[in-house]
Amino acid sequence: MVADLRNLISAEWLKLSRRPLGWILLGVFLGLMLLYLATWALIVMLHTSSLNGGRARFAVLSPAQITEIQRQISFPGIFGAVLGQVNSTGGICAIILAAGFLGSDYNWGTLRVLLTRAPHRGAYLLAKLITLLLGLMAAILLALLLGTLLALVCSSTLSLPLHLRPRDLLALPVGILRSLYVILPYVIITLSSAAFGRSALAGVGGGMIFLALDVSAGSLNTIGSINPLVRLLVNLLLQPNINTLVVLNSQLFGLDQSVLLSSLDLALLPSPFQATLVIAAYCVCFYWGAYRLLLRRDVMGAH
Amino acid sequence: MTQCGTISRFSSDVVFVVIHMKAAIVTESLTKRYGARTAVDQLSLSVGHGEIFGLLGPNGAGKTTTIAMLLGLVTPSAGRAIVLGHEVGRGPSPALRHVGAMIEAPALYPYLSGYDNLRVLARAGGIAEARIATVLQMVGMADRARDKASAYSQGMRQRLAIAAALLPTPELIILDEPTNGLDPAGTVEIRDLIRELAADGRTILMCSHLLHEVEQLCGRVAILKEGRLIAQGTVDDLLCRDSRIRLRVAGDQERAILLLRALPWVRGVVAEGDLLLIDAPVTRVAEINAYLARNEVAVTEIGARERSLESFFLEVTSGR
Repeated sequence: MVADLRNLISAEWLKLSRRPLGWILLGVFLGLMLLYLATWALIVMLHTSSLNGGRARFAVLSPAQITEIQRQISFPGIFGAVLGQVNSTGGICAIILAAGFLGSDYNWGTLRVLLTRAPHRGAYLLAKLITLLLGLMAAILLALLLGTLLALVCSSTLSLPLHLRPRDLLALPVGILRSLYVILPYVIITLSSAAFGRSALAGVGGGMIFLALDVSAGSLNTIGSINPLVRLLVNLLLQPNINTLVVLNSQLFGLDQSVLLSSLDLALLPSPFQATLVIAAYCVCFYWGAYRLLLRRDVMGAH
Repeated sequence: MTQCGTISRFSSDVVFVVIHMKAAIVTESLTKRYGARTAVDQLSLSVGHGEIFGLLGPNGAGKTTTIAMLLGLVTPSAGRAIVLGHEVGRGPSPALRHVGAMIEAPALYPYLSGYDNLRVLARAGGIAEARIATVLQMVGMADRARDKASAYSQGMRQRLAIAAALLPTPELIILDEPTNGLDPAGTVEIRDLIRELAADGRTILMCSHLLHEVEQLCGRVAILKEGRLIAQGTVDDLLCRDSRIRLRVAGDQERAILLLRALPWVRGVVAEGDLLLIDAPVTRVAEINAYLARNEVAVTEIGARERSLESFFLEVTSGR
């Protein structure tokens, strides 16, 4: 079983690493991330008048917000900002990638070719998921590298402090794993949807619809203050729990997202322990759904 | 011994068990239903080790569903299938590691080269990558292996799919329309390859609409119609090749019929226009000729009746 899984991961990695869609999505994600960070840098430039020779100042944001933005484009906050992007635009890219990764095997009829090689269907699904997570981890590392370069540029051009302590670097693995954990339920619901609809389109549709519903439902956390029961129910939704881990990741690198977004106030969100458990429960349910679909249904030709 | 053109079926579990020990594939009352529609209906057949077996039938007869059940891709609604001595169910069967298959149209990753397509399958199956060059050579694709699969013609895709089926050095090879899309030279190459593989002791189960191809390659065939097995046996048995003589006489046809029916080893005589079809061993042709000459009936034409698998297939599947 372990040898089978290793073989399958190796095969899936070959497919993923050669797939143009993966590289395109990586390019889109890194491009959007750079745009986001460059916008913050521009705002800081406008605020400090370093762009227009002191003729005008950017006064829309409060000093606290400007300080927070400065933290996001300098060390160690850049890591939190990059990981924040991983959990927003990166999540959408991950959904598209996951849908294509499993759904295409249905679309092209290659699923039946792989499954006639006798692997257990569960091993096939697990190999897909592990390979996807490895791919996403590689993308996160690349994004962090790019963020580091940007922070170095910003530090020199905007005279921002260059504080990079060993403990910030040691916190990186925790941050990366937490970011992956946050993406995981969306990736798995996408795999389930692709298996249910037997196509990449069904995967994208399922993943995106879930994301939209979840984000909408997540806004209900403001009514959590009505009474403890409502708060308990709202906190069983995925989004508030995701937000908890996203905020924790920001704080890990000295950021305070609540300065920019009041909905990311940790006082209103579920506890880290509950967040971890709730996300795990969603992941298990979604994975079980995908596994049962793949195991019980017949596999025929291309769709 | 099966009678000419009749259906052979297993009647008991004892027979089934004895046969499956010696056969590469055995199915017993294999059935697949999709709602109210029965795609495969109580199919019982046996394919011996080292034989080339043809599975024939019109579109929608249940050939691909049968193959998919043999490969564990489709779960039977009833009955069972044993492949290389192991029952195939929903879970992975150890026997499938020794099976190479190409089902329906070739399925490839379009963004990968032919070589990388095979690398994916080799890695997934834990097969040494050195085997890839061998199978590419076998199907004549070594020169184009580095091109993207999306740029391949139908024939090249077909060859690559056959190469994929051969990758695990299979004991049993299942090929669905193996020469589909190939040019005449390619068709001959693949036919020769199939013969070589069988000569090497491998069992081959093939589906094809090219009945002359099946006739050339297969020792035994099974014909499906609407999911049911309607004929199974050796090609010679099904076509009654050794027991039909055609005869044309110059004179009184009625008298010739009476004379022939008088012979003890003639099982029957039927007139088809000016042609007489005699149900008798082909080895008796000279004897019949001499007998009719002695009785002053002039024979203008005599010989074994040429009957193709195609005409037999059309007869049994469309009732022509």
